Amino acid sequence: MVDIQFLGLLNATLQAATLLFIASLGELITEKSGILNLGVEGMISIGAVAGFITAVNTNNIFLAIIVGVLSSAIFASIHAIVTVTLKQDQTVSGLILTILGLAVSSLLGKNYVGKKLETKLESLFSIENPSNVLEVFLSQNIIFYLAITFTIAVSYILKNTMFGTRFQAVGEDSKAADSMGINVTKTQFIATCIGGAFAGLSGVYLTLSYVPYWTDNMTAGRGWIALALVIFGGWKPYRTAIGALLFGFLEALVPRLQTYGFELNPYIVKITPYIITILVLVLLTIYKGGKTGAPKNIGIAFFRENR
Amino acid sequence: MQTSMILDWPWQVLVNKYTLSKRQVVNELSTFYSFLLGFLIALIIGSVILIIQDKSPGDTFSLMFKLSIGSVNSLSSSLNKATPLILAGLGIAIINTVKLWNIGAEGQIFMGAIAVNLIYINFQFSNSTSFIFILLVSSFLGGAFCILIPAVTKVLFGVNEIITTLLTNYIVIGLTIYLVNGPWKDPDSLNFPAAAYVGKEVYLPNIFGKLSYGFLICILFTAFAHYLKNNSVFGYEMRIAGGSEMTAIYAGINAKQKAFFAMLIGGGFAGIAGGVELLSQTHRVSTGISQGFGYTAIIVAAITGMRPIGIFLVGSLFGALSIGGSVIQTIGVSTYIADIIQASTLFGALIIQFFFNYQLKRVDDG
Repeated sequence: MVDIQFLGLLNATLQAATLLFIASLGELITEKSGILNLGVEGMISIGAVAGFITAVNTNNIFLAIIVGVLSSAIFASIHAIVTVTLKQDQTVSGLILTILGLAVSSLLGKNYVGKKLETKLESLFSIENPSNVLEVFLSQNIIFYLAITFTIAVSYILKNTMFGTRFQAVGEDSKAADSMGINVTKTQFIATCIGGAFAGLSGVYLTLSYVPYWTDNMTAGRGWIALALVIFGGWKPYRTAIGALLFGFLEALVPRLQTYGFELNPYIVKITPYIITILVLVLLTIYKGGKTGAPKNIGIAFFRENR
Repeated sequence: MQTSMILDWPWQVLVNKYTLSKRQVVNELSTFYSFLLGFLIALIIGSVILIIQDKSPGDTFSLMFKLSIGSVNSLSSSLNKATPLILAGLGIAIINTVKLWNIGAEGQIFMGAIAVNLIYINFQFSNSTSFIFILLVSSFLGGAFCILIPAVTKVLFGVNEIITTLLTNYIVIGLTIYLVNGPWKDPDSLNFPAAAYVGKEVYLPNIFGKLSYGFLICILFTAFAHYLKNNSVFGYEMRIAGGSEMTAIYAGINAKQKAFFAMLIGGGFAGIAGGVELLSQTHRVSTGISQGFGYTAIIVAAITGMRPIGIFLVGSLFGALSIGGSVIQTIGVSTYIADIIQASTLFGALIIQFFFNYQLKRVDDG
């Protein structure tokens, strides 16, 4: 018999990690194409509210997932239009995407604050009270398994396929990619929208499963942690996943410390994940000595005439 | 060269008989025109949202106008509201001179207010004018302290300052929540977690009517930031340091040192925004010290191309928009409409800016 508290901690870790990881995997794809999108927080928020509203009104969870994902992808296309097509500053555009996303989602969700979901996203194998480690893994919902599938798929495609190599060429040296006949701007545009779709999936996970209700600013900085995770993972899917598990573990552990007999102030406890994030980021940057593995063309708009 | 070779996707699909080229000469006032057109676009977007919500855009906007700049009193409120926005925006612009981003203005504002209260409850001065001065200085130092860790880790190890400054926001706001629920909690504030009010002797007085002396500080800091960025040796060195690494080395400029001090000064500007807000408006530390000023300040700074005078003007307008946005709640319009207008203005301006910087030219057949 495994300790029930440990199983609870493991379950909470997996859930918190899934939420962070899906958004960072999307951002990883976007950044691999050379586009930096700082609007993850806003995109998660849009997906979260769109999915929640659909779920409340239709009681159809799968429709809610699709609407949430598509809304965020369309929302991300604003960033794509401004930075890829119109070649404007990616930092500014991404930041405003966050502010706009939070404002629009608050506006849309105004009448849904405090509403309850009739049906939330249930676990795939309908295990209610897992009694061992395997059952904890099997008690997760479909988005958890999607996250695992995406990790394997994205890593495989980037490493082992011609498509993946050509895709990464865009982010590494867009001019060389262009002369190879790759459609740079189209690739970047689509990659930005895919990043949005992943953030949307993360948002849907947030409101349909993780905390099944809607309040303003409920993303609580997770989009920014997702961005930090991409750096943490050195732009590699598996390492990003490990980072997500680590941060998920922290998010799950901190509120449980008191049950393990640590006397802690709850307000101070709440800020520790952010302090640890900074600490890890600093240690990681020192450890890598500046060689972070970032795509070389990140942040630089592609313009044909520049060659 | 073929036309279709020069245009990239999706331009080639939209306009295949044109070429796209960078303009050699960009209109000096392009930022200003982009802002105006962007604002127009944002008003149209705002109107559409209002119409969807069954509200009349004309009535709503005229009410917003009347209640934000329609009288001396409401204009004063708007300028008071603009003060922290402008100060934080100036800080962001100073830091951007070395091509770094400060996303942590929100936290620095809170830290400025915390510093004021910390000094206020531990020290007493008989002369209230010098006490106010000391409190304002401490708020500047509080903001600078808040950005210290991002600044040190940036210049020593190259840690991404966008993420570290952003994360400090959550830490400082968490600290504020801790203070106002714990050590600083005022028992008289009942259920609302807040620190005790500061004494009337350290209130920033009003120039006239409702307009606080904070706005005068804001004007002085705008002038100072303008001088620092455009006319001072330090500003020149900051620009070189933010430009190319090689140029800085040839010019004998210590780029890291400039970046470090630029960040501390910029953080201090946001800190003093919190100090002014506490001493002139809220008079106590609570989570209501800033309502997202630090984030809106990023829009204000970016939209003006990081120009101090522009930040002053656009900040004033956005202050009025916020006042307008908060009063239209009374007629059942969401206060977020103001946020959406502000963000859309910048997106609109970015789109317009493209057409100032680039040129689509028709190419003849054959």
